[in-house]
Amino acid sequence: MENALELLALSPPGWGGNLLRGLWSTFQIALGAYILGLALGLFGAFGKIYGGPVLRGVLTVYTTVIRAVPELVLILLLYYLGTDLLNMALTSMGFERMDISGLWAGIYVIGFVQGAYSTEVLRGAFHAVPFGQIEAARAIGMSAFTAHWRIILPAMIPFALPGLANLWLIATKETALLAVVGFSELALETKQAAGATKAYFMFYLAAGALYLMLSLASTGVFALVERRFRRGQPSQS
Amino acid sequence: MTDPASASGTAATLQVEDLHKSFGDLEVLKGVSMSAREGDVVSLIGSSGSGKSTFLRCINLLELPTAGVIRLSGEEVKFKGSGPNRVPADKKQVARLRSQLGMVFQSFNLWQHMTVLQNVMEGQVQVLGVPKAEARARAEAILERVGLYDKRAQYPAFLSGGQQQRAAIARAVAMEPKVMLFDEPTSALDPELVGEVLKVIRGLAEEGRTMILVTHEMRFARDVSSEVVYLHEGRVEERGAPDEIFTHPKSERFAAFIQNTH
Ligand SMILES: Nc1ncnc2c1ncn2[C@@H]1O[C@H](COP(=O)(O)OP(=O)(O)OP(=O)(O)O)[C@@H](O)[C@H]1O
Ligand SMILES: [Mg+2]
Repeated sequence: MENALELLALSPPGWGGNLLRGLWSTFQIALGAYILGLALGLFGAFGKIYGGPVLRGVLTVYTTVIRAVPELVLILLLYYLGTDLLNMALTSMGFERMDISGLWAGIYVIGFVQGAYSTEVLRGAFHAVPFGQIEAARAIGMSAFTAHWRIILPAMIPFALPGLANLWLIATKETALLAVVGFSELALETKQAAGATKAYFMFYLAAGALYLMLSLASTGVFALVERRFRRGQPSQS
Repeated sequence: MTDPASASGTAATLQVEDLHKSFGDLEVLKGVSMSAREGDVVSLIGSSGSGKSTFLRCINLLELPTAGVIRLSGEEVKFKGSGPNRVPADKKQVARLRSQLGMVFQSFNLWQHMTVLQNVMEGQVQVLGVPKAEARARAEAILERVGLYDKRAQYPAFLSGGQQQRAAIARAVAMEPKVMLFDEPTSALDPELVGEVLKVIRGLAEEGRTMILVTHEMRFARDVSSEVVYLHEGRVEERGAPDEIFTHPKSERFAAFIQNTH
């Protein structure tokens, strides 16, 4: 047991500091990816609702393909495809090839996957808003923009939150898949610590506990947010 | 027919001429005309499916009329195209005219994520650009008048149907509309809640507000209206001053209709 605590100590030779740095990277990638996913989701949802046939077609391919292909495959594909395309573009414009930082590549890859799910969550939430609320906004003379900003989006939030909370938890866990392309987030740090010390069970247990803490804290935050946005609805309980 | 009404006091506040509306092959309105001068209360009655709601919703362009002219204070709604492709030519005009036509829906349609007070302030602030403090003062005064001042901080879902409808009326009144449009404002209410809403509407009528009222409450229509219009299958079958047409109906259908609804 003492041995275990020494191994988890925050400063070397303990590996605790590495695990916490890994957790921090995991959190940053998840948060960035989540925000990018939300932005893509908003664009995707309203594109599907209001877009012409071409845009709708493109978005349907996006959401269908992303949701059909296993995450791990997508991450490998998007990572290598994305970095290759970027470097091809750079070299063709006469710039040097560049190494994309792990953080940004991770955000882009997972955010792109999240966007497909966010699109569907937000589209569902839009259709759940009672049509009368939208008509009342038009009838009072609001412009389309004002109606969306002041009425439709806020009315969508309670319907979207359960799905969006889920997506956040998925984002935090999906970051572990980035280990396959060599990002030092929590999963990879754990693997290295475990490999170096042979204390596999303990390090994976510690990592599991850190993921659980992140998840519990997030659930708490989402519960608060949800309560705030459900003020207008009588509670079901 | 007539020239766009001049700014003189005798001009109709709302004028609708020969309005047609089709949904696909189904022609729901087959040429309906109506005009309301300032202070007029026009009640639209008729059996279910006769086109009353459609007519009302055409006035503020929630439905797009396939033909016909709509004028508010002499300003004609501009359209382009024709038939099913006829659309408003000027979105800004549509928004402005809508802000001058206070609509009250059968199902209230209050914004659920806002308190009663915020509902009543929203249009003033976002559409009319009234400063918040002023909008709040006006909203509070109106809520006081409809008996909801105590409920101003409440969310709509926590109110009774009658209270929600009074809040919705307050929301419309806060815009200082030139004409108010009511689409069966009491039909979704439990019978014991109808009275409180009718009382508010009667108060507005007595203040001299111009309104078009779709209703199944015959007694009420008779009491408050300056004109009653009976629609049948998308046409005006009978119209006139309430005392006149309820006591001496000309059309047999209208006579039968008032028999059945009493
Ligand atoms: N969006 C729509 N699409 C197709 N048909 C419609 C639509 N709205 C109304 N209609 C049809 O138009 C006709 C008139 O409907 P409307 O709602 O105006 O009647 P109403 O007089 O208000 O009836 P009620 O007293 O039941 O409210 C009905 O036959 C209805 O089915
Ligand atoms: Mg109707």
